Amino acid sequence: MSLAAAFLPRDLHPLAWWAWAAGLAVAASRSTNPLLLLGLVAVAGNVVAARRSTAPWARSYAAFLRLGVLVVGVRLAFEVVFGTTDSGTVLVLLPRPPLPHALAGLEVGGPVTVDGLLGAGNDGLRLAALLACLGAANALANPSRLLRVVPGALYEVGVAVVVALTLAPQMVADVARVRQARRLRGRPDRGLRGLAGVALPVLEGALDRSLELAAAMDSRGYGRTAGVSPAARRGTAGLVLGGVLGVALGAYGVLDGGSPDVAGVPVLGLPLLVLGALAATAGFRLGGRRVARTSHRPDPWGLPEWLVLGSGLVTAAGFVLAAALGGDEAGLATPTSPPSWPTLPLLPLAAALVGLLPAWAAPRPYRRPVAADHPQREHDREQVAA
Amino acid sequence: MIRFEDVTVTYADGGPPALAGVDLIVPEGELVLVVGPTGSGKSTLLRCVNGLVPHFSGGTLRGRVTVAGRDTRTHPPRELADVVGVVGQDPLAGFVTDVVEDELAYGMESLGLAPDVMRRRIEDTVDLLGLGDLRHRALRTLSGGQRQRVAIGSVLTAHPRVLVLDEPTSALDPVAAEEVLAALHRLVHDLGLTVLVAEHRLERVVQHADRVVRLPGGGLPPIVGLPAELMAGSPVAPPVVELGRLAGWRPLPLSVRDARRAAGGLRERLAGRSPLRAVHPGDGPVVAALRDVSVRYGDQVALRRVSLAVAGGEVVALMGRNGAGKSTLLHALVGLRRPDGGSVAVGGADPARLPGPRLLAHVGLVPQDPGDLLGADTVTAECAAADRDAARPTGATLALLDRLAPGIDPATHPRDLSEGQRLALALALVCVAEPPLLLLDEPTRGLDYAAKRRLVQVLAGLAARGHAVVLATHDVELAAEAAHRTVVLADGEVVADGPTAEVVVSSPAFAPQVAKVLAPGPWLTVAEVEAALLEAG
Amino acid sequence: MNAARRAARAAAVAVPVRGRAGLVLALVSALGLAAFGWPLLGSPGSGLGHDGDAPWLLALLLPLLIVVVLAEIADGGMDAKAVALLGVLAAVGAALRPLGGGATGFQPMFVLLILGGRALGPGFGFVLGSVTMFASALLTGGVGPWLPFQMLAASWVGLGAGLLPRASGRRETALLVGYGAVSGLGFGLLMNLWFWPFVTGSDSSLSFVAGAPLAQNLAQFLTFSVVTSLGWDVARAVGNAALLVAVGPRVLRALRRAARRAAFDVPVVFEPVEPTLLGRR
Repeated sequence: MSLAAAFLPRDLHPLAWWAWAAGLAVAASRSTNPLLLLGLVAVAGNVVAARRSTAPWARSYAAFLRLGVLVVGVRLAFEVVFGTTDSGTVLVLLPRPPLPHALAGLEVGGPVTVDGLLGAGNDGLRLAALLACLGAANALANPSRLLRVVPGALYEVGVAVVVALTLAPQMVADVARVRQARRLRGRPDRGLRGLAGVALPVLEGALDRSLELAAAMDSRGYGRTAGVSPAARRGTAGLVLGGVLGVALGAYGVLDGGSPDVAGVPVLGLPLLVLGALAATAGFRLGGRRVARTSHRPDPWGLPEWLVLGSGLVTAAGFVLAAALGGDEAGLATPTSPPSWPTLPLLPLAAALVGLLPAWAAPRPYRRPVAADHPQREHDREQVAA
Repeated sequence: MIRFEDVTVTYADGGPPALAGVDLIVPEGELVLVVGPTGSGKSTLLRCVNGLVPHFSGGTLRGRVTVAGRDTRTHPPRELADVVGVVGQDPLAGFVTDVVEDELAYGMESLGLAPDVMRRRIEDTVDLLGLGDLRHRALRTLSGGQRQRVAIGSVLTAHPRVLVLDEPTSALDPVAAEEVLAALHRLVHDLGLTVLVAEHRLERVVQHADRVVRLPGGGLPPIVGLPAELMAGSPVAPPVVELGRLAGWRPLPLSVRDARRAAGGLRERLAGRSPLRAVHPGDGPVVAALRDVSVRYGDQVALRRVSLAVAGGEVVALMGRNGAGKSTLLHALVGLRRPDGGSVAVGGADPARLPGPRLLAHVGLVPQDPGDLLGADTVTAECAAADRDAARPTGATLALLDRLAPGIDPATHPRDLSEGQRLALALALVCVAEPPLLLLDEPTRGLDYAAKRRLVQVLAGLAARGHAVVLATHDVELAAEAAHRTVVLADGEVVADGPTAEVVVSSPAFAPQVAKVLAPGPWLTVAEVEAALLEAG
Repeated sequence: MNAARRAARAAAVAVPVRGRAGLVLALVSALGLAAFGWPLLGSPGSGLGHDGDAPWLLALLLPLLIVVVLAEIADGGMDAKAVALLGVLAAVGAALRPLGGGATGFQPMFVLLILGGRALGPGFGFVLGSVTMFASALLTGGVGPWLPFQMLAASWVGLGAGLLPRASGRRETALLVGYGAVSGLGFGLLMNLWFWPFVTGSDSSLSFVAGAPLAQNLAQFLTFSVVTSLGWDVARAVGNAALLVAVGPRVLRALRRAARRAAFDVPVVFEPVEPTLLGRR
């Protein structure tokens, strides 16, 4: 794809957006510095505002932001009611209600300290920033588009999800129709009995139609497999099994800190985990070769996708590097006892600003100027009436 | 192209064979029509062509089916996808994706074609079937005819050599059916496809067919032949053919045009006679009245100041294009839709305000899909529930059902019944409460001629007992046979309202075949012509 | 007819899970439990402190593992009939999900999951759980970090329903009702387990203590559950049970009829063509 064409208005490959958001999320998970976290949220919001399309699911960013605020609130509420931090300035002294003997170990109420609130607030803010990054991914790349780039090994499951998404609105229309029919038979169509009386015919009708769908799919070539040699199948099986086993052992090593070391490097644990994951991924991709399908309009992967992916990686790498290099003095974590003002360390800030790149590097979203969302009026009336 | 060698199909549930001893050769490039009563094995025959029977349905296939040199024993349906394209009875149920263009591409994606090949073929198919402005539409927003064309297009993009269609026009109005048949005609003549069509509504299709396969059912082997020969002896035949048989025309005409050219003599014989029709019971008590009713859906007006009065003992046919407001009118009569203006009165009461059980005693509606009314596991349970709802003694509904459609095993699951039987069950469920007004919305979907005849008899019986019947239908033949009065709706307004003969004969879109052949005479049905000829001696 | 009836009563297996797929399923389930319950499992010195990386790592790993196990199951053979049934049931479940609010306790989606797993086999139930959750997330417009966990938990519910022992009639209904209650509670507890460390942090009296013995952390967790959402969980369990009693047998009959019509296990037999004798028409 030529350079100029890559930047024409089009929809960016969804994986690029999700990778960028994942990078920002990884960066957010490294820090509890409220300034940095808010900066990341602002970066995500800016990119969403610049490159969001007008489809309905583009509003999900706001929903995720609200959810983030809720998470911060819940975290603070827990800190207020159940917190055990006793050091620092006491803001309020809550009474301790008498508890039954079974819950004796629980501390409810007690002093509410600034330290505790700040700590909880920073924690909550970190979670909110994560949610904001995911919300940005949802808003910029509709998860349904991910279904078009489903890898071969998951093809069948992908088709099941596509069928479910296609049928769900039809189901809703069916429910309306069957409700009317129940009224024709003089039966209630509201309440619990109504629900059962409507749901069952809808379910049975849908199950009958599913057989027609399966016959149609079979007739059009669903399930054609490319011939895969037995050796390749065994190789794939080995990779997948070995990979998952490696992940299991590695996880065991991580969970159980006292795993055997070899010359100071833990054998089980993180390296095995990563190796296992890579092996399983390789086996998964190899397994996809049995599905012989092509894609009608595959989303291209060009320079803008690399730029977006790269910016996410740089942001994540910057934060991780800062954490590894500086430890607690890097400013990534804000000490809360005693509380101090958060600093603005340079490396993470620069990394966060790199995350703004997609606002310019990604092509503008393309909206097809067709009445695709306006159903044919008359038919709709028939449907509504029928 | 397609060869059946002594094919017998038995399903796994141990019943009699669905097909027995079928020997058939379909040459390349022909349009073959498969006819037969319900349950005679038409669907099984069509599904054998691409291997769905027995690979998909299970069962035993004795004999051999070969398509384009490939044997279905060794080729399951997915291996035949590039040679055979199958369009089922309900195209919406066969759609995998949400958007027209994605659906057109799905078959090719499964076959693993390159993207540029796919793009080209989609453009060709869109041009061939006239889908240009539908490309990016969502599939569930399309009308019936558009859906059928998209379904054909979606199997056509795989460039098959055989196209198999199961009842493509049964749910369509005449205009949409003509579009679909014209598309098929183009495919056969321009592209040289071999097309296999199973259809009940012979009047539209038989003139296009090169060969007819008639399945008598009951385990007898099929009868294959040229359309004119086969129709001469077939129990299922369109009105034009029946007229030809009655008048003794040779060769037997299959289309209205051929019949008109042969009809000179018949018209002379009938000159000056008028058909004997059932006396129009115009002075029965008014059962239902719509006064100045208007219904709006948002800023779309579905009904515009419609006034209509239906008297007891008359059968009224409601005709009109899709979207003209027929269903809305029926819904207003039964109280499902409160009018935005004007008033509705059924038996003196406003149906929208009647509580459920009392509604049953005033008016009953059989909806477009009778299956919507069904909710039980067995026919017995369904009928028992209806008895309770209508406060009738146990067994009343079952007895009524037996009169409407004898021979139904009460232990069957209602959804396992045939279309005609399901309609009969829905009718029984609604009629057991003996409502003075009965409404039917498109009752002839999927019905074969025998079931339609039974329906006409049932409606006549109901009218004779004083019920008022309103049926919304596209089927002009049914209106001609069953209805005393026809009301034509267009754009939400009543355009014509009068005795069926007057309204229907003069209109090119709504005239039955007999009327078109014998125009300008007032003849509507073959039975009328037969009676007049008998009278003439 | 008797053979057909007998075949109908035997469980249909829509999605077979053989050998390798079963092994991967078991491993991934074990890892999934670890991903849910890592606060309870750490021992002193492990990377599982409140600031440790392990939770993020496990959370990142879980989607990969789910994807791998679904791919393995699909590799074992998911034909068009199974996929169509999956899609239809997932659509019904996803369409019904908004109807069951957490507070009212009715979760029609779960009831469908349990009955689907029971009628069509454990493999089907597992995939149905994942597909329903994913489709429902897409329909409501939000893929969040909770989704892999919800998918796995729902898949377990479907899998468990398929693994229940054979029974019929009232015993089957009782079995399913019991399972519905247990699984409703279990799902709630699992999701609580998931967000427990995030909501309580490191310094509340309800937090987990890294490296503490299992019993102690478990007690903390149970206290947390009682305080936060046990009410809703119990309501959900009771709602499941009630719904199963009300519509369970009917829905099960409908699903079994669909399985029978789909003819999953019906053999396909070809009999040889007999030579055509002359004059044999």
